[in-house]
Amino acid sequence: MTVIESTSQVSAPQTDLPARTAASPGRLALRQFTKSPSGVAGACMLILIILVAVAGPSLYPVDPLDLVGAPFMPPDADAWFGTDYLGRDVLAGLIHGGRATLAVGAVAALITIVIGLVIGAVGGFFGGAIDATMVKITEFFQILPPLLFAMVLVTLFGPKLTTITLAIGGVSWTSVARLTRAEFMRLRDLDFVKASRAAGASNVNLILRVLLPNALPAVIVSATLAIGVAILFEGGLSFLGLGDPNVMSWGLMLGQNRNYILDAWWAVMFPGAAIFLAVLAISLVGDGLNDAINPRLRRRS
Amino acid sequence: MSALLEVDDLNVSMRNGSGRLVPVIEHLSFTVAPGQTLALVGESGCGKSMTALALMRLLPEDFVITSGRIVLEGRDVLALPPKEMRSLRGSAMSMIFQEPMTALNPLFTVGDQIGEVLRWHQGLDRAAARSRVIELLRAVQIPAAEQRIDAYPHQLSGGMRQRVMIAMALAGRPKLLIADEPTTALDVTVQAQIFDLLAELQRSTGTAILLITHDLGAVAELADEMLVLYAGRCIEAGASDTIVTAPRHPYTRGLLNCVPHLAIGEPPKPWVDLGEIPGMVPPLGARGADCAFLARCAQACDVCRAKPQPALESIAPDHAVSCWRKTELAA
Repeated sequence: MTVIESTSQVSAPQTDLPARTAASPGRLALRQFTKSPSGVAGACMLILIILVAVAGPSLYPVDPLDLVGAPFMPPDADAWFGTDYLGRDVLAGLIHGGRATLAVGAVAALITIVIGLVIGAVGGFFGGAIDATMVKITEFFQILPPLLFAMVLVTLFGPKLTTITLAIGGVSWTSVARLTRAEFMRLRDLDFVKASRAAGASNVNLILRVLLPNALPAVIVSATLAIGVAILFEGGLSFLGLGDPNVMSWGLMLGQNRNYILDAWWAVMFPGAAIFLAVLAISLVGDGLNDAINPRLRRRS
Repeated sequence: MSALLEVDDLNVSMRNGSGRLVPVIEHLSFTVAPGQTLALVGESGCGKSMTALALMRLLPEDFVITSGRIVLEGRDVLALPPKEMRSLRGSAMSMIFQEPMTALNPLFTVGDQIGEVLRWHQGLDRAAARSRVIELLRAVQIPAAEQRIDAYPHQLSGGMRQRVMIAMALAGRPKLLIADEPTTALDVTVQAQIFDLLAELQRSTGTAILLITHDLGAVAELADEMLVLYAGRCIEAGASDTIVTAPRHPYTRGLLNCVPHLAIGEPPKPWVDLGEIPGMVPPLGARGADCAFLARCAQACDVCRAKPQPALESIAPDHAVSCWRKTELAA
């Protein structure tokens, strides 16, 4: 604190770098992500799996539900991955089933994220009685064992791909909600949120433009992992006999062939390996993303 | 002259853990005339920032305005429905925060953030907002505004960010700009630049400024009127020139003694210890009816101890003091 008795000139200070290359947070995160070898490896694997699932069926146009030969044919030149207990082509199942499995995973994860974000954001932003209600709803879903709850839902509404997806999404959003709520409560009192409020931002503006983008880094990571969890969930439900019998998926292949594992290991091992690789790839991407966008880790670099 | 902002007997309390109301600001009244600057001065914990937040109706959850009136341009701010209040914020009155490093959203460019305020309040489209943002950045003397509009906050220095904050606050052409310690977090050289900038912007835009500060140098330079707060009570008010040159309340005198007086081009004075005020501001809940400054006051006498907090009484047309010994201490 000094009494300034000389009048200082109003001078525009010559300062730092001009912002020629806009270092947007997204671009910084991408650059950081490419530095993580396991993340890049996971991303490559995932892209490959998605490519096979998207383009595969037209390159290998065998209906996975068709009987193409004798049951339990081991892998050979006719059927590279063998046939299952009904004589269906395992390779066709893998390629076509990938579509269903990935779609269930992605859509269920999307449902998880949307429900979790809404519940968490509303509770964390408004606090008080609204928050208490949201927390109670979350806790209600948390105390139910998710797999059991999903089984009940699928049994009630029939084993169709849509009900399976909805059931998975509907039981697994609690962790996203809790995470979002915690992030919102942390962010709510930060200076730039107050500043936006003081500049006349409405609640909707604050939630969507100010808080949500800042809460996303943490949520994106758990969203990625949620895809993997949803795929495992679908596998688990199908394994227990609650898969959609009309749509080939990796989980369904596992579930239908598990009784014959000693006679035809290929019909179980290949879809199992496919699920394993897909979930591994997603986990690696999630870890890489976490390193790239987690603010606590980023500050170190 | 009719006042732009009129605060009448404002009382703010905090609800403590047991639900009791603890007074934070007591019987605060002041007016701000259009285009003028009023400074709120006091130590940390005296209720300066709470006054600002009360004006914006942005008090933290546990704080409540228990009574009083806040009238801005003839409108009763405390009676406005939330939606109208929101449109008032950022347009009729806006606020600059203390800490420019954290007061900007790290994920958006400064252009986006200023442009957003323009879109909310003036309904400008993207292109119009952008050119207006460049104008605003030029007005707050940011060099190379055309490039800096696309900069993220982390690419700017503290002084630059505070200029961006000022641009954002001025975007809605406010009648009243509340500056809550706008330079506390900045280097001394940058502080002077920011104060000069505020003074210049006030001249060009005619906005009134409510300056919250403990920098008495800035008060002397910038403010027309000042209000000295102590423990949530106004203990001295008046024209800033008068108070800075002839403070009457022992607390104001103590504050002024804490300021080093340096002047460029003068030989250094022999070493003098800076003054200090022993003790600290009484915490919330420990403020009784008697003079809040009593425990720390070197001039306290039996009258002070026997009577409650004195009323704010005029001793001159532009000077009011809340002290039992105001006449004796005049000498």
